[in-house]
This record gives sequence, C-alpha cells and structure tokens, in this order.
Amino acid sequence: MGTILALGGLGWLLSETFSSIEGDVGPTIVPLIFGVIAVMAAVRVITHRRPVFAALYFVLVVIASAALFLMLHAEFMAFALIIVYAGAILITYLFVLMLAQQSPTDSGDSGSAWYDRTPREPAIALLAGFILLATLISAMDDSRARHFNTMTEAVTTRAVEQPWIDLGRLPRELLRTAQAVDPNVVDVLSTPRVDDGIVRLPVRMHGGTETEITLPQSSQPSNTRVVGLSLVADFPVSLELAGVILLMAMFGAVVLCRKQIELGEEEAQQAAGISGGPQS
Amino acid sequence: MTSAGTFHSLIAQVDLIDPKSMQLMLVFSALLFVIGLIGFLTRRNMIIMFLCTELMFQGAALAMVAFGRMHMDPSGQVFVIFILTVAAAEAALALGLVILLYRKRDTLDAEAWSELGEC
Repeated sequence: MGTILALGGLGWLLSETFSSIEGDVGPTIVPLIFGVIAVMAAVRVITHRRPVFAALYFVLVVIASAALFLMLHAEFMAFALIIVYAGAILITYLFVLMLAQQSPTDSGDSGSAWYDRTPREPAIALLAGFILLATLISAMDDSRARHFNTMTEAVTTRAVEQPWIDLGRLPRELLRTAQAVDPNVVDVLSTPRVDDGIVRLPVRMHGGTETEITLPQSSQPSNTRVVGLSLVADFPVSLELAGVILLMAMFGAVVLCRKQIELGEEEAQQAAGISGGPQS
Repeated sequence: MTSAGTFHSLIAQVDLIDPKSMQLMLVFSALLFVIGLIGFLTRRNMIIMFLCTELMFQGAALAMVAFGRMHMDPSGQVFVIFILTVAAAEAALALGLVILLYRKRDTLDAEAWSELGEC
C-alpha cells in the first residue's frame, strides 16, 4: 500500500518536473527512458525489504546511468562505471551481505529482519528530501541559470577548438593523425590552427617542402584520449593523492578486520623471538 | 571575434548537448541524490545505508559528466574518476567497519548503536 502510494507520488513528481520543461521532448526521449529506469531502480533500492535485492537494483541504477553517460559522450566513464561499480564495489557489498546475513529462522514471516521492514524516520526524511529536491530544481529553473542553458558563443568556440588543442598536446598522436590524412607527411611543424571552422596543420612533406594540410572533423581525438590527457596533464597531484587514498583504505580495512588473538606469556615471548625455554 | 555567420557555421559542426536533455540529466541527478538521501535517513540496515551513499555518488557523478559535456571540458569526467576512487575506498573501509560492528552486536541495525558509551 505504502509502496503504491510512493510510486504514484514519484510519478506525479516526474510529470510535474517534465511539464516544466517547455516544448516537445522529441530528441530527449531516450535519455528520459534510461533516467526513469535509473530513478525507479533507485526507489526500489531504498524500499526493498531484502538487502540482496536492494544491491541488485543498485546494479540496475549503475547500468542505466552508464547509458546516460554514453548519451553524454562519456564513453570511457560509462564502461569504467560498469566495471568498477557493478563489477567490483557491488560484489564487495554482496559478500558483506552474505557474511552478515541473519539466519532466516529467527526472523519474521517474510524472511527479512525486522529492521529491514520498519523505516526509521520516514516523515522527516521525506521532508528533508523534498526540500533539497525543491532547492535543486528551482536553482535549475532560475532565470540566471537559464542563460547557461543556451549555447553561448564562447562555449561553442571553445567546443570547436578544444579537441584540436588537446590533439596538439599529443605530438606523436598528431603526427599519426597527419599521416593518416596524407601519407607523405614526415614531420609536424606546429599545433593545429582553427579558423572559420577549418582546421589547418603546417607539416613538412616527404621531399622537404613545407605546406599546410586540412584535418577533417573525424580525426578528433577520442574521448578516452582526452580524459586520459586531462587526468595526467591537468590533475597530476590529484592522481597521486587518489593512489594514496586507495592505499590508506587498504591498510585501514586490513587493520579493522584483523582478529585479536590472545596469547599466553610464553607464546608471546616465542612470537617475539625471545624464547626463554632452554635456560630455565 | 567571429561574426554571426561564422557562429552559425560553428554550431553546425559541433554536436553540443541540447539544453533540454541537459536539464533532464540534471533533474535525474538531483532525483538520484535525493532518493539516496531519503534512503540513508530511513533505512536501519547499515549496509543499505552505505549503498544509499553510493546512490548519492551516482547522482553527483551524473551531474559532473553533464556539466562537463555542457562546457566541452573533460575535467567533469576526470572528477568522476576520483569519485570512483573515493567510492571504492569508502566501500572497503565502511564494509570492514560494518563487519566489525556486526560481530559485536550480532545485528545490522544502526539503532543498536544509538547509545554510545559502554560497548
């Protein structure tokens, strides 16, 4: 009963939200489908009585949002999300759920523990959630935010030039791209230049003559190259810190899960390497 | 710098995200975050509470990628890589803690720990 009410309320909220987006939603129908799948699965994550099913619904959330990432042309992140989240983190969650599962005999009729059947502070939590949602959505509908939604000239110019600037930072890749356009190229003389939407690249040809070739739109660097370049060129310190965080988490997990073994005095001495056995 | 005519030719060759689906993505990321928040506040099972923080991470990651797409900047996706790192570290540590707490009280209920003091 409560679940039906909650789903109905969510559907009403979704329809209210989308009716505020004016115009037809023709090209946005596919993101809409995957987004609704993600949100519905998220609702099931927090409403399902059995923790294992909640974890599996979370896998559905991850897959649906990976589809949304694909639509945002973030191909690398979409597949990394599936591999890391659905493949690694969720498996850890499932193992812990199995380790900490109560035996089904001592629980109630539905086979789930009582603390999975009763919510804690539903009214206050819903109130807090809706206030936060209202804040976020009203910030999106704000007239100041609205002009960010329209394509400004600066963003568009940057969007045209940025892939070529990124390509210019990868010299070997640039040479390979130039040779794919014209096999006679032996050397690239400078970074690509964009004017009037046409990309020109000064190169040295096989006989030693210097000329300019035009790069087609299709020779832009791929998403994975751009992300990798940004990761190691723009955020090197953060990358190192991420490694330190992972190392510390590993140490922390090992320290937390280690069992305390009580040793007697002699055993402790033996373990420490100061066995007083033969003398006494 | 560029005249109006060139501007339109620029738009024609760039596959920018249209504002409507941008808004859609932001709505979905807000919804995922809020659902995660509500779940964190209402569930009693400690493991599900941590699962709900992962839901909130998902919402934040979606917003980052959407904004990065809007500005044609790969930094948004790089931030999602760091979010994945933090989520993995959090999962390892938090689940270790949950196992430890479960061994002490034999229950996953977070309310069992509402009185701190004697263990």
